[in-house]
Amino acid sequence: MLEEQNGSKTFIIFELAGTTYAVRSRLVQQMEMIEEITPVPNAPASVEGVVFSRGRVIPALNLRVRFGFERIPIDLRTRLIVIEVGERNVGLIVDSAREFISIEASAIQPPNEAISGLSGKYIEGIATVDNRIVLILDLSEVINLAEILIGDQPAHTGAQPAKQG
Amino acid sequence: MSIAGPEKNSEFLAEFLDDYFAESEEHLAGARRGLLALEHFVHQSNIDRASLDGLFRSFHSLKGISGMVGVRAAERLAHQMESYLRALRDWQATLSPEGMDALIAGAGLLEKIISEHRAHAPITDPSQLMARLDAIISEARNNRPVDNSTTGSVSTEPDPLRTSLQALAIGDGKNVWRFDFVPKPELSARGINVNYIRAGLQQVGELMHAAPRVTPEGGIAFEFLVSTSEEITSFPDLFDDGVTYARQVLLPAGGAATVDVDVAAAPVEPMTASYQALSSRASNMVRVDLARLDELMRMVGDLVISRSRLDERVKHLEAALPAPEWRPLQETSLAMERQLRDLREGVMRVRMVPIGEIFERMQFVVRDLAREYEKQVKLELSGHQTEIDKFLVERLMDPILHLVRNAVSHGIEAPNERTALGKPREGTIALRASAAAETIVIEMEDDGRGVDAEQVIARACAMGIGIRGRGAGAGARGSGVGAESISGPREYEKLTEAKIEKAENIDSAELLELICAPGFSTRAEADRASGRGVGMNVVSNTIRGLGGTLELKTEAGKGTLFRIQLPLTLAIADALIVQAGHHRFAVPQASVREVIQIDASEIKILENNDVIVYRGAALPLLRLTRLFGLPEDQREYFHAFIVGSGLNTVGIAVDRILGQREIVVRVINDPLIQVAGVAGATELGDGRAVLILDAAALARPAEGRRIAAHNNGLPRPSNKSVESRTDA
Repeated sequence: MLEEQNGSKTFIIFELAGTTYAVRSRLVQQMEMIEEITPVPNAPASVEGVVFSRGRVIPALNLRVRFGFERIPIDLRTRLIVIEVGERNVGLIVDSAREFISIEASAIQPPNEAISGLSGKYIEGIATVDNRIVLILDLSEVINLAEILIGDQPAHTGAQPAKQG
Repeated sequence: MSIAGPEKNSEFLAEFLDDYFAESEEHLAGARRGLLALEHFVHQSNIDRASLDGLFRSFHSLKGISGMVGVRAAERLAHQMESYLRALRDWQATLSPEGMDALIAGAGLLEKIISEHRAHAPITDPSQLMARLDAIISEARNNRPVDNSTTGSVSTEPDPLRTSLQALAIGDGKNVWRFDFVPKPELSARGINVNYIRAGLQQVGELMHAAPRVTPEGGIAFEFLVSTSEEITSFPDLFDDGVTYARQVLLPAGGAATVDVDVAAAPVEPMTASYQALSSRASNMVRVDLARLDELMRMVGDLVISRSRLDERVKHLEAALPAPEWRPLQETSLAMERQLRDLREGVMRVRMVPIGEIFERMQFVVRDLAREYEKQVKLELSGHQTEIDKFLVERLMDPILHLVRNAVSHGIEAPNERTALGKPREGTIALRASAAAETIVIEMEDDGRGVDAEQVIARACAMGIGIRGRGAGAGARGSGVGAESISGPREYEKLTEAKIEKAENIDSAELLELICAPGFSTRAEADRASGRGVGMNVVSNTIRGLGGTLELKTEAGKGTLFRIQLPLTLAIADALIVQAGHHRFAVPQASVREVIQIDASEIKILENNDVIVYRGAALPLLRLTRLFGLPEDQREYFHAFIVGSGLNTVGIAVDRILGQREIVVRVINDPLIQVAGVAGATELGDGRAVLILDAAALARPAEGRRIAAHNNGLPRPSNKSVESRTDA
């Protein structure tokens, strides 16, 4: 409703490893507390498992692992942010999330190479809201398949089957 | 034919296009049945009138509806076929074998053209076949016994159906009115289309006839004949809707002939078609998009899950409340379960169609191939009323077609050879279908020479195809003739050895595996009907993709039997719920052959493989905990379920079997969670996702080991253990 009005856009902001991130609320389907995630054998390390969301089976992606932070146990503050990008639905596991904010388009700057850290290439822009610095995520990069499947192999990857002949 | 400005009328046509494809399918099926009946009359001239009329109507309708949507090639061809049928009927011409062939070829070509139109593919030119038909018709004309010199060309006769109906009604003292409707975009904008008009006319009286025709301007118009018992002189409402009308009268002297009086419209073109199918016959039938049924099925699935949630809650209450408090709830829940089962079956039944559709087509395939290979073959069908999911019908056509082709070209011997063997000259192919519990069984059996194991092995060796599990390496199936599926020269030697020493020992599952290998062909040179080397591989992949299994039984000199087993439905299945490493998994019951309990001491280790003795043979045992890298407890006993067949039989060991229940299969779409050995996910009522195991994938040695190796970094086990099993 407020979306795209007066040059401002609405975002969901969440915390991850002490940093504040924002995702476009338009791409967020829902946000829920995490009860249980069913692990999937042989899935990439950042894929914690599967959950049901509105009758669909979706992957739960641990954003800490995805961005190279340390994994922490799921607690009461942990949230699953279910996003819809293109045809895909993915749940993002984040430390905590609760705010819904509107950011003026003019308050968003392109990412500064010097301050983009581990999550650098997933950052679409940087905004300052109430003296807080918020990193705006490019969700299609965050759930980029090729990168997760190839670049982010399971930690316990064993020997690949040797080719015969 | 251009249909009144394609742009203006595109919406109007789109409305018809889906109907067109569905309806042409029906008419083609009718035509095929009619042609089979007609075949008994080859070389005869007194052909059963009913058979001819039925066929005539099918082609007539195909012509009409094809013309309506502008599939000119189909329209012309159907017209020509109709002309020949008319010649047979009206001139009592003798049905020549060439004529029969042309009719069958025509039906096939019509189907081809229509599907090409559907696929927006280039359309095959029917001219050659039409010329053939033309020659046959000329011959029939020259030989006709009685010269009933009324018309020079058959195609200008008035539509006999319409004429007789009209005569009948008028003779009955009814008034017959003719209505003409020309669809226009501005009418369409008001919601007035042919369906609307048809419905309106049905209020006026009895709709006797409805047909589209092409106006001289190249547009499209519909004419309707309606009989009324009341004296009505005008239809002002209809006139507002762009309909013109005129009363029809019977000329007393003209016998059955009628003329249209005061009709301002252009004379009816010969290309008129019966529009009956849409108007009357279909009145109590509904065509439904399969996607809508899928949606319905999904909703039923949601209900099943909600009910199991309810059940779960009731179980909690049982512990906390006195019986009179929870019992009514429990009863309601159980009643709901039964009702849901009925609902689910009801929805499934809507999707079911008889398999006879596929079987009947095989009649033609067998007929054509038998001629081509100069063999005598009869096809016996049974269980063609067996109903299967529409989704499966579409996908089963090609596999069954291929099996039947193989049977005629490879299986059945030439008549002289059969006589020499003491077999009947005519070979028999039997196609059988039956439904058993949750599965459909389709069998194709021939009484031919059987699959020659030695020849197959020799060919396999020559082509470098190995049996997985026999030699040193196991390759992934369906990966093509790549490094993984051929295991190196060492392997062929092994195979050759196996052939010399124990050719009879090759079991049918191994044989099947060889003939289903990618690229396998028993013929040095591929021929048209079979042996293109892609066939059996595609057959087995298709069937596996549908969650089914393919089995082979063959005996040298006696015949071959292929058995296809498929799950009745894909969305809801009975499953075993198992537990391994503190996780629950669902295993579709259809894939489980048996459940056994194993004492830990019974497990023998052969070069890193767990093996148990099962029914007197060694059975490889895969532990789910290891396959999936789950925590493993020290256990005194395990449960295992047996899956796979032949050399792919394995036991999959789990910590315990928790029970058996109905599950709703949810597909996994996101590639991040698509992993080998997992077929989908389900929910058991507690909101948690439970993975559904793909037992067949786990049973395939290559995949099973790959999953394990991927997970544990274990060296690839050798398959000595498998060999020891064959020796046992």
